[in-house]
Amino acid sequence: MPLRDVALGPYYLLKAMATTFKHNVRPVVTIEYPERQKPVPPRARGRHILHRYADGLEKCVGCELCAIACPVGCIVVEAAENTPELRVSPGERYAKRYEINLLRCIYCGLCEEACPYDAITMGPRYDLADDHPDKFIAVKEDLLEPLPASLADTAVPSAAPSAQKIPRKW
Amino acid sequence: MPQTELLETALEEARAAGYIGRNVLGSGFDVDVLLHRGAGAYICGEETALLTSLEGYRGEPRLKPPFPAVKGLYGKPTVVNNVETLATLPHIVRNGPDWFAAMGTPTGKGTRVWCMSGHVNRPGNYELEMGTPIRELIYEHGGGIWKGRSLKAFQPGGASMMVLLPEHLDVGLDFDAIAKAGSMAGAGAMMVMDETTCIVDVARRLVKFFEHESCGKCTPCREGTYWMANLFDRIEFGEGKPGDPDLLLDMGYNIDGRSFCPLGDASTWFPRSVIKYFRDEFEQHIVEKACPFRGEREAVA
Amino acid sequence: MAVVTDQVTLTVDGQSVTVAKGTLILDAAKKLGIEIPIFCSHPKMEPVAVCRMCLVEVEKMPKLQPACAVYVMDGMVVRTRTEQVQRYQNGVLEFLLANHPLDCPICDKGGECPLQDQTYTYGPGASRYDFPKKHFDKAVPLSDKILLDRERCVLCWRCTRFSAEISGERELALIQRGKDTIIGTFNDQPARSEYQGNWTEICPVGALTSRQYRFISRPWDLDRTATICPGCSMGCNVHADARHNRLGRFQARENLAVDDGWLCDFGRYSFPSFQREGIERPRVRRDGRLEEVSYEEAMAAAAQSLRRAGPATAGWASPAATNEELFLFQRLLREVLATPHLDHGRGRGEAATALEPDDAALPIADLERCDHVLLLGGQAVIDAAPVLHLRLFKSERKGVRVHRVDDARAALEAVPAEAQAVGIVSSLGRKPEVDSLQGKLARKVKGSVRRLLVPDGPNGRGATDLGFGPGRGPGYASLDGKAGRARPDWEAAGVRALYLFEASPLHDFQASGEEREWIQRLETVVLQRPRPSPLDDLAHVILPGRAFVEKAGTVTNMEGRVQRIRPAIDAAVVRDDWKILQGVAQALGADWRYRDPDEVFADLSRAVPAYRADRIGERALWSERA
Repeated sequence: MPLRDVALGPYYLLKAMATTFKHNVRPVVTIEYPERQKPVPPRARGRHILHRYADGLEKCVGCELCAIACPVGCIVVEAAENTPELRVSPGERYAKRYEINLLRCIYCGLCEEACPYDAITMGPRYDLADDHPDKFIAVKEDLLEPLPASLADTAVPSAAPSAQKIPRKW
Repeated sequence: MPQTELLETALEEARAAGYIGRNVLGSGFDVDVLLHRGAGAYICGEETALLTSLEGYRGEPRLKPPFPAVKGLYGKPTVVNNVETLATLPHIVRNGPDWFAAMGTPTGKGTRVWCMSGHVNRPGNYELEMGTPIRELIYEHGGGIWKGRSLKAFQPGGASMMVLLPEHLDVGLDFDAIAKAGSMAGAGAMMVMDETTCIVDVARRLVKFFEHESCGKCTPCREGTYWMANLFDRIEFGEGKPGDPDLLLDMGYNIDGRSFCPLGDASTWFPRSVIKYFRDEFEQHIVEKACPFRGEREAVA
Repeated sequence: MAVVTDQVTLTVDGQSVTVAKGTLILDAAKKLGIEIPIFCSHPKMEPVAVCRMCLVEVEKMPKLQPACAVYVMDGMVVRTRTEQVQRYQNGVLEFLLANHPLDCPICDKGGECPLQDQTYTYGPGASRYDFPKKHFDKAVPLSDKILLDRERCVLCWRCTRFSAEISGERELALIQRGKDTIIGTFNDQPARSEYQGNWTEICPVGALTSRQYRFISRPWDLDRTATICPGCSMGCNVHADARHNRLGRFQARENLAVDDGWLCDFGRYSFPSFQREGIERPRVRRDGRLEEVSYEEAMAAAAQSLRRAGPATAGWASPAATNEELFLFQRLLREVLATPHLDHGRGRGEAATALEPDDAALPIADLERCDHVLLLGGQAVIDAAPVLHLRLFKSERKGVRVHRVDDARAALEAVPAEAQAVGIVSSLGRKPEVDSLQGKLARKVKGSVRRLLVPDGPNGRGATDLGFGPGRGPGYASLDGKAGRARPDWEAAGVRALYLFEASPLHDFQASGEEREWIQRLETVVLQRPRPSPLDDLAHVILPGRAFVEKAGTVTNMEGRVQRIRPAIDAAVVRDDWKILQGVAQALGADWRYRDPDEVFADLSRAVPAYRADRIGERALWSERA
């Protein structure tokens, strides 16, 4: 081995280290998923959200237009009538049952297009992994927007409890 | 009501004289006359609505055919005549048809009663020979426009008829001549308007009258008059939109000739003629967002 | 060839069509396949021409003419799609929608609404009406069955005309006038009509809706089955609409020969009683307790007990069972168990001896071709088959004299000797009386005298035809002195085992107190029924079967029309009744190998030739019997 190479050894070593250190201080491009999530574009089509009015009443009237617009038929809606005792939405009719099969859903957003009351929109949530197919049936409670903070502890009546209560990871 | 009392008295006299009732003048023929008072609905001036109302149902026109002469009151053949016709009869009977036919114009024989109202000095009922110029009715018999003002417009035949202008004053008072001038002699109710009149407001009030009197049977009349009344309200009170006159014209097209009876058709004639002659007044209402005549009229009042 | 004078030829949109005189332009156009939009016009009601949707151009007529009210004339030239007509159609829809709430998303009519459909086809894309809409009361309860939404109403008068012209009750009327016009009952009293459901069907918008069907489903979600109403022996044709395997509603399925397109409220709103709740399994009583077992076990247990009783078994069938089931059950009892004790219905021994094929029966549709109709029994007969009232009222409007009488003597007096065609309508229970009246009338009047007898249950007539009674065999065959006893006499006849076959909650066994006591003492009670019954406590074997709306087969209506019923809801959790009957028979040693109800029907046809597979939907013709 020529002496010259031996003398240059530390030089190359330092050069390599410099590259390493340079990258050490550069901004990070990855994030700590799933603890942190990237904000999605505003019009991204993630899991659906059922909206409420400012007074906490549900916007959905159970018209089933989303269900008929859905190209894969993954939405099931059953409607019922509001009564003075159980007022869920402002008008005469509300959705008693609202279920979306998220495994079948193709996230096309046609339900959102079809909705005459802007009750359903595609939300930002896209990471819907879970460990059992049953857990992908999103029921109304899963989809509904939380009550506005001002109404958080008022008892706003909701529809009859859904049939299944499975803890979901999403 | 004195009129009905008068008629009742006349009927009693006729009955006492044996002209009506059982065995008229010993001829063995029975005929009686019954005076029935309506409840005042305009639609019941339509002959079939009149019959429906007489039968005790809602005053609504019936489908024609069958015409009343075939199937009228209680399904029996019925002749429906106007008071005007009946009022002319005694004179014709007394003086003969030739006397009657000698008056008037070749196409409109005899006389007619014109009921003049509005801004004239002497409103009232005037029986004139057919063909008499309108100018004579308004300026001689009616004593001219009140308060020394000038004529703005007039309606020759009743609430539904198209408006005519001062330039039509020399038109003769007969059916053909008035029709040629672009209006109709109709019921002979002459309404005269002076220069301070807001023609939009006149149309508004007339349309509201038709909206109120519409029986609601057919769609164009029920919905159309309501809509037109809303539009006129909006224009008159300064909330009109630039397209409103054209919308009114289009609505007139959709109502006229398409409603069940002439009431719906008639509700559009006056507004449409007004838009034809006085479109600038509509524009003025819409642009100025107020009625240009309102201040003036209130000052007059 | 002679000139046919009652035909006229006209041109619609350039196509020539020849129709009978007195045809409306609308119908002439329909014959050509040209659709003219309508709201107020209804084929069964007098034209009123109020909605003005159907205006068309007719040559030589200055104004547009309502196609629903103008009759055709020879040489008429009609144009339905000119620019003027289209502009008017657009205009009238704009008028109709001006004050319509457009709450289609919550309206039960949404999806099958003529106003919606026609707006899409003929209407404007947007409204120019920018004022606040008129407001009326919404969801006004007209009765316990119907809700009225006055905002959606387009005042087509169909419901008021139905009330006046079809049911004759005049319960609905127009109130107020002009823009304030509304539909309502007198003084807002609840409507009492028995035919209110029809209002919801003829309403061209969502103004009149059914309370039972309220928000149940969208029309496109319904599974529609063409079947027969389980209400009574009228045999009205219905569409049974189910969603998620739950019945949502019955709708009329027009059959001019039977129902004329109408239903009564009893039949129409009877469907909730057919709703199956949960899964049921056969049960056998062991040591006094009912235990769930398999069908095979239960059938074997039933067979074992029945074999013991043998000819001391009595069989009762619901008059809502199908012909196929009745035939099999009849064979099971007569051939396998060799018992003569068969009965159905309320078992009043209904004319059990005087049975004969009703060849000369008056077809329902011929009521309006009679000149005198005797309603022997009055309202009671109507209550047994309410749609008959609509038929009779229609006949009356056509000039038929309908006499509502209670005894035969009054009936005989009511009909004049010069009557041409007399119809007698009564219940089957009064058959002997009707027979003698028919005889006396036939001697009195010049014309024909025919009768229409109303049995109990949707297949009461089939039960009689197939010999499901103690007196006659299938097809009224003589039993050669081996006649059995009717239901009231079973106790006296020493019956030890009872096989009850219920098929509809509307026509179940309905045991009286005495009967219950007697049944309690029996050694064997086999109960085959579609849903829990009050007799469950007394039964030894319970075989869950299917209800009327869950099975396939044929039923025979009062005039002898054999009509097909189809399963409207899937009841795969329970076994078909004919399979159960076959299973019991096989367990008793019979060699039955039917694979489907059609094979049963083929066998049935051999025993009763009047019932022919190629004539389902028609009346059974007895005189053609070879």
